[in-house]
Amino acid sequence: MKPSSSKNTNPVWAFFSSVRLAVFLLITLAVTSIAGTIIPQGQPLDFYKDQFSHTFFQIIRVLQLNDMYHAWWYLGLLGLFSLNLIVCTVKRLPFTLRLLRKDNLSLTSHRLRKMPFRHEWKTRGKVDASAIKPLLEAGKTRLPESQVDGGRLFLAEKGKWSHWGLYILHSSILVIFAGALTGSFAGFKGNIMLLEGESTDHIVDASRSKQIPLGFSIRCDKFSVSFYDTGAPREFKSDLAVLEGGNEVLKKSIVVNDPLEYKGISFYQSSYQAVPQVTVRFHRKDGTREDIVLSAFQRISWPAARLTLGLMQYLPSFNGVPAARIWLADSEGKTRALWLLKGNEKIYTQDDEQFSISLIGASQSYMTGLQVKKDPGVWIVWLGCTLLIFGFGIVFWVPHQTKWLWIGEKDGNTIVILAGQTNKNKIHFEKEFHKTEQAIESVLGVK
Amino acid sequence: MTFSSSYLLSLVTFVYLGAAALYLIHWVFRVQKVGLLATLATYAGFAIQTSGIALRWIESHRMGYGHAPLSNLYESLVFFSWVTVLVYLFIEWKIRRREIGAFAAPFATFSMAYASFGTEDKIQPLIPALQSNWLIAHVVTCFLGYASFAIACGLGIMYLLKKDDSRGGQGILGGLPEKKLLDELVHQTIIFGFLWLSIGIITGAVWANEAWGTYWSWDPKETWSLITWFVYATALHARFVRGWAGRKIAFLSIIGFVSVIFTYFGVNFLLSGLHSYGSQ
Repeated sequence: MKPSSSKNTNPVWAFFSSVRLAVFLLITLAVTSIAGTIIPQGQPLDFYKDQFSHTFFQIIRVLQLNDMYHAWWYLGLLGLFSLNLIVCTVKRLPFTLRLLRKDNLSLTSHRLRKMPFRHEWKTRGKVDASAIKPLLEAGKTRLPESQVDGGRLFLAEKGKWSHWGLYILHSSILVIFAGALTGSFAGFKGNIMLLEGESTDHIVDASRSKQIPLGFSIRCDKFSVSFYDTGAPREFKSDLAVLEGGNEVLKKSIVVNDPLEYKGISFYQSSYQAVPQVTVRFHRKDGTREDIVLSAFQRISWPAARLTLGLMQYLPSFNGVPAARIWLADSEGKTRALWLLKGNEKIYTQDDEQFSISLIGASQSYMTGLQVKKDPGVWIVWLGCTLLIFGFGIVFWVPHQTKWLWIGEKDGNTIVILAGQTNKNKIHFEKEFHKTEQAIESVLGVK
Repeated sequence: MTFSSSYLLSLVTFVYLGAAALYLIHWVFRVQKVGLLATLATYAGFAIQTSGIALRWIESHRMGYGHAPLSNLYESLVFFSWVTVLVYLFIEWKIRRREIGAFAAPFATFSMAYASFGTEDKIQPLIPALQSNWLIAHVVTCFLGYASFAIACGLGIMYLLKKDDSRGGQGILGGLPEKKLLDELVHQTIIFGFLWLSIGIITGAVWANEAWGTYWSWDPKETWSLITWFVYATALHARFVRGWAGRKIAFLSIIGFVSVIFTYFGVNFLLSGLHSYGSQ
């Protein structure tokens, strides 16, 4: 199986081209990968400091076990694995090429008699080659032919190309790696939280915590959640709109498993947050009043009163009464915080105007959590996966089968030799070979 | 409902238990008729199980949830047992040897027993993450892999138990198939399982990409499936290039299956992650 290369004794080359290294790397990857499934991944360093002993924490820090699948040594192992794969492949290539170039029409009858599958007939009569030749490969009448040992040699060969299967299979792993690299260099991943009605034109990258402009705006019009009668969640849904220069260009309701995609960027439903919302009533002295809806994470401007408002905290039941803590800022930026209890009025004075403020209602709105990603490498990964499966199928199930038929003469007798070989699925080939054998026998009329 | 799916499926446990006992008797006492009976019992169990699974699917529609019965631990155990029997029956039909049944039927029995007595068998609605057409493709392909590896493990154990062929067919262990055949079968089932595990991992990646926006996030389940993949990849390469066969590959088939078990259960019970719904 193994192509020998005694001429090439460069130790570095020998190291990288050894299959022993491949097996070693596979085992090492398998064993080391376990660590990351036991040690929680992606937590802040302080977490590990609290959870583990000092020594163990140091090990975690040095080996980057808090994010081990992206640690220098793990990526190094994967790099070594790729290198090993490439070198092994390159080393094997001449062997495969020689095998593919081998002239199967120059075999002597002596060699045919040594094939794993063979049968020989001897007959006194003349043998009509055109009558038995089609039996070699299901009715094919035109077969490659040559003159060997004073006789005619016919060749029926199938699946020679299957020797490329191994290369397809192994390169598929490299294609997958290439796709992953493309994604990590040319793509991004992040999260956004959007209140109903809110929009954004950028996201915050998950790992590098920097802002990434989207090139357009995304707005959440509505979020809804529904439940089964068992209490289990049934559906999380966000109604999203894509805006270009303020104009809606695309609208879609997304749910888990059905993202929105626009200009190569995808938005996935990933979480949600219930956001309290309170209605606050402002009574002026002259009897006019204004109701303002405040929700968490939002500041509301009220230009007529030169006020900016926000909700700091909401307690659905403070001694049985809903309570809200709001803040107000006047035009000079001076802020005040106020606790409001439902049914209780508070007096607030700004400049020369006086309001009595009361909490009149509370409700809930939602904030949707979206996972945002751009991954231009993903189709390369799928290509790699497809190649992997095809390559695997070819390597294990497409045989290279060869059958020879030699018709010659010896001492006034006609000699017919049928020979064959296959590199996999010998049992199936044996049956097929036997069928051909019987078909030829019935034409020749001899045993 | 007398013929509820849970009733049918708990019945299957006992049918498979009976079949396993018959296979064992067939192997130990070498009674051909008992072997035939074992096969018939397995076919019967398989038929009942198939209708049980179908009925469960129908029941879920009646309840208004309507999903393939592949969504929680109970359903996955039932399905694992079903696929294991399917793969086994195929091998039995192909090589016409029943002794392997004594090592394959117990896997199906254990799985069903665990499902019936150790897990919640109520039909639950699908949570949003599982509402995808990829659910069936992902689970079916993964479990074809798991089941093949279970059989490969059973065959590997048989190989290790058996003494050399040259010592003839003496004693209980002599009744097992020839070592050469066992070795080849271990290899073939590993190849078959490896293909399905690969497709299972890929369909999982496609699904994850659609649901969460990442085809690979080093979640413990994902990582363990990859570890399993590495183990079997090692076995295939060691055999092809380094000529490993027999004992070494038999050992690897057992180590590989331990990894499968951990991927299947260990991750759900001991580690947390995206696949946690599998433990309910």
